[in-house]
Amino acid sequence: MIINFLFYFFSFILILSSLMVIVVQNAVHSVLFLVLSFISSASLLFLLECEFVALLFIMIYVGAIAVLFLFVVMMLDVKTLTVKKDILKYFPFGSFIGIIFLTEIFLVVSDTFKTNPYIDSSLFNYYTNWLDKVDSLTELESIGQLLYTHYVLQFLIAGNILLLSVIGAVSLTINTRHTTKKQIIFKQLSRTYKNVLIV
Amino acid sequence: MTTEILLFKNINILPELFLGISLVYFVLYGTFLSMNKNFPLIINSCVFLGILILLMTSFLLVNDSLDVLESTILNNTINNDFLSLTSKLIISITSSFCLLMMYTHLNHQKINQFEYILLFLFSILGLFLLCSSNDLLTSYLAIELQSLSFYVLASFKKNSTFSVDAGIKYFILGAFASSLFLFGSSLIYGITGTINFSDFKDLFFWIFPGSILGLSNLEQYYENQDQDILLFALLEKFENSQDKLLSQYDADVLNYEIDNTVLYENAVYNFEKISIYALITSSIIDSMDSILTVSSHEGEISMINRYHLVEWLFFDEIDETCMFYHIYNNYYRLCDNTNEFIEKGIFDEKNKLELTKWFFGSFAFLLANCIKQNDFQDLHVLESSLDTSLLQIGLTFILISLFFKLAIAPFHVWSPDVYEGSPTSSTFFFAIVPKLGLFVLLIRIFYSSFYGLIDNWRYLCVIVAIVSILVGSFGGLEQRKLKTLLAYSSISHMGYSLIAFNSGTFEGIQMLLSYLIVYVFSGLCIWSIFIIARLKNNHSLKHNKDLTDIVLLNKTNKMLALFFTISLFSVAGFPPMIGFLVKVGIFLTAIESSMYFLALISILCSVVATFYYIRIIKIMYFEKVIVGKLYYPITSNKGMVISLLFISLIFLFINPTLIILITHKLSLLLLI
Repeated sequence: MIINFLFYFFSFILILSSLMVIVVQNAVHSVLFLVLSFISSASLLFLLECEFVALLFIMIYVGAIAVLFLFVVMMLDVKTLTVKKDILKYFPFGSFIGIIFLTEIFLVVSDTFKTNPYIDSSLFNYYTNWLDKVDSLTELESIGQLLYTHYVLQFLIAGNILLLSVIGAVSLTINTRHTTKKQIIFKQLSRTYKNVLIV
Repeated sequence: MTTEILLFKNINILPELFLGISLVYFVLYGTFLSMNKNFPLIINSCVFLGILILLMTSFLLVNDSLDVLESTILNNTINNDFLSLTSKLIISITSSFCLLMMYTHLNHQKINQFEYILLFLFSILGLFLLCSSNDLLTSYLAIELQSLSFYVLASFKKNSTFSVDAGIKYFILGAFASSLFLFGSSLIYGITGTINFSDFKDLFFWIFPGSILGLSNLEQYYENQDQDILLFALLEKFENSQDKLLSQYDADVLNYEIDNTVLYENAVYNFEKISIYALITSSIIDSMDSILTVSSHEGEISMINRYHLVEWLFFDEIDETCMFYHIYNNYYRLCDNTNEFIEKGIFDEKNKLELTKWFFGSFAFLLANCIKQNDFQDLHVLESSLDTSLLQIGLTFILISLFFKLAIAPFHVWSPDVYEGSPTSSTFFFAIVPKLGLFVLLIRIFYSSFYGLIDNWRYLCVIVAIVSILVGSFGGLEQRKLKTLLAYSSISHMGYSLIAFNSGTFEGIQMLLSYLIVYVFSGLCIWSIFIIARLKNNHSLKHNKDLTDIVLLNKTNKMLALFFTISLFSVAGFPPMIGFLVKVGIFLTAIESSMYFLALISILCSVVATFYYIRIIKIMYFEKVIVGKLYYPITSNKGMVISLLFISLIFLFINPTLIILITHKLSLLLLI
């Protein structure tokens, strides 16, 4: 009962706040709503007893990404005047396509998951019935077990992707060579006609 | 799920490990060398180091011991079969050719960062993993590894706006496509509860084959199936597995029964028939236990198999209404027993898988019987889980995302811009090499695992193929830039390969793979000539060639112009080159699988597309010019490589068995 109530409460907040992320004009407010939506989805995950993933959500999304967004938004000082015109222009078509896809997927999903499909089918989830195997451990333990044994290759690939992204980002932004010309404003401003002339 | 212990003999991914570890050393090498105060010309040594790494990797690939039957490793997530081995070999050789051709170009473009080669190697590692991935997670990670490095490669020339523009375009659309892939995978995981391709195969090939998934078509589907073949196959398996126990007399009785009854005239009668077979074999059950206790030689696994078979066939009463429940019970008992056997050590995971597969096969057989009776009341248990419309949506998402990556027509809009904008050396690479890896993934998903649903995904593929060929043929007519033109040519070629892809036959796969191999080689030829022919220009950094730039190629370098012409002819599909043979093969496959309209349109479009290939040749040979720019001479080692590629185009036409045989073996070994 209380769990149901909490579930609906948090999902309502989630939907509302993610709607507000798009609707709100002020960028800082939008990012704050994004944080709220992350937090409410993390609480949903808590309700589903996925405490590790929920904590990850809070740590990574709220702690790192959203704060980063907030910094960027605060520094950029985005103008908000032109947005209204664009919304009017794109709203009918965009919402039309969105509604079509939404109804399509909603119909199919509601059709497929009307009842629990595994309840009396031969497709009873024999392969990945994680619950039987790992529920005696805590979630952190079981994820660790899986990650370092069963999915060790995937873990290594993910590590490689991280290395690649670091290298890519550095090589796109680094500015070492002499061929690229840099403007040093301080030098320009401190030039006077006296010290330019070499006598 | 039991986690296998990682044994060294299980690690069949030695080439990937080598590549990954050498990448780390490459980073160290590049960093220490470029920290030097003198700013050395690091790119030369890096290119050759990259080629060395690739060649050593391909050496490891060639030496890889290929297990035909036990190809999946690392808990079924990696499938190192012949297909992945061959495609990896082709990819590594092609990319080492690419690196060899591009290094003077890199020097002239003043790209002197070791990261460029490093990113190349990363993307090749991604392609390797893509070729051998056997589940959705691994393939997603491989796609990410490959495409992330492509984004950076596209925007590597930081001082060019075009390059940065191309990189951002590629990044946004590629990320979009990846998200589609993830969404599709999550839907599929939600429906099936697994992400493994072999599990999909078990599920949708053995237990619920084909269009019975629509359930309204269920009756229709089994009307069209040859029932006798199903029964005979089962009985043959049955007999073969117990040739020692079943006496000759019993076998004769079985054969007599099969020969002298018109099977499936009367379904109820046939259930009795099955029960008769069960009675014959029930005598074996008694002796089974003693055999099991003796145990410890090779034959015992089939013994257990047999035990369950007999147990399963032996119905106490032929009551159709409880038949399915009977099967379920037996299945669960079977699962429990196998776990027991595994604990005892007379059974391993592989046998369990085999047993499961076998069970699914017999399940389908019984289902067929039930349907023959038109007794659909019993099937309501299956009904709840059989709706595939959501599965189709998931598959469509995956298909679309892979089409995005392959730049197939309705999803191609990024590709001419990106090809045009990014540095030529990068374009050279991602116009040729990744197509093969992505198609291998497509084959794995849609042939190995979701072949049962071919009727559902095929329509989309056919439409996309037609659109792609039309766009590729007509869009190329307008182009003035050589790179964009080659991009459109690649779009139409992907359309042709898609025709072979959706034929759904062994010949289709064979033609698809040979078309891709030939596409890779002729593309390599054209792009190499394009990249090494350098204009004597005032601003040497400009390398966006117009079509008119090649007007004096014939005057400057007759052989290079000839090679260019011949390889363009090969791409267009003219007879004395291999391009002709594979294109004919594609059209034949389309006709053989009754896609006449598709074949007609693609043949007509192929004629249209020939126009722009020939226009390049016309510009090269028959244009009257007053002033033009000459080309620098090319070095002899590049000339060697180019002539090697060129001769292979003609040699393969004279002796196409090389390519045909390899691809034939590939297609046959695909569906073990």
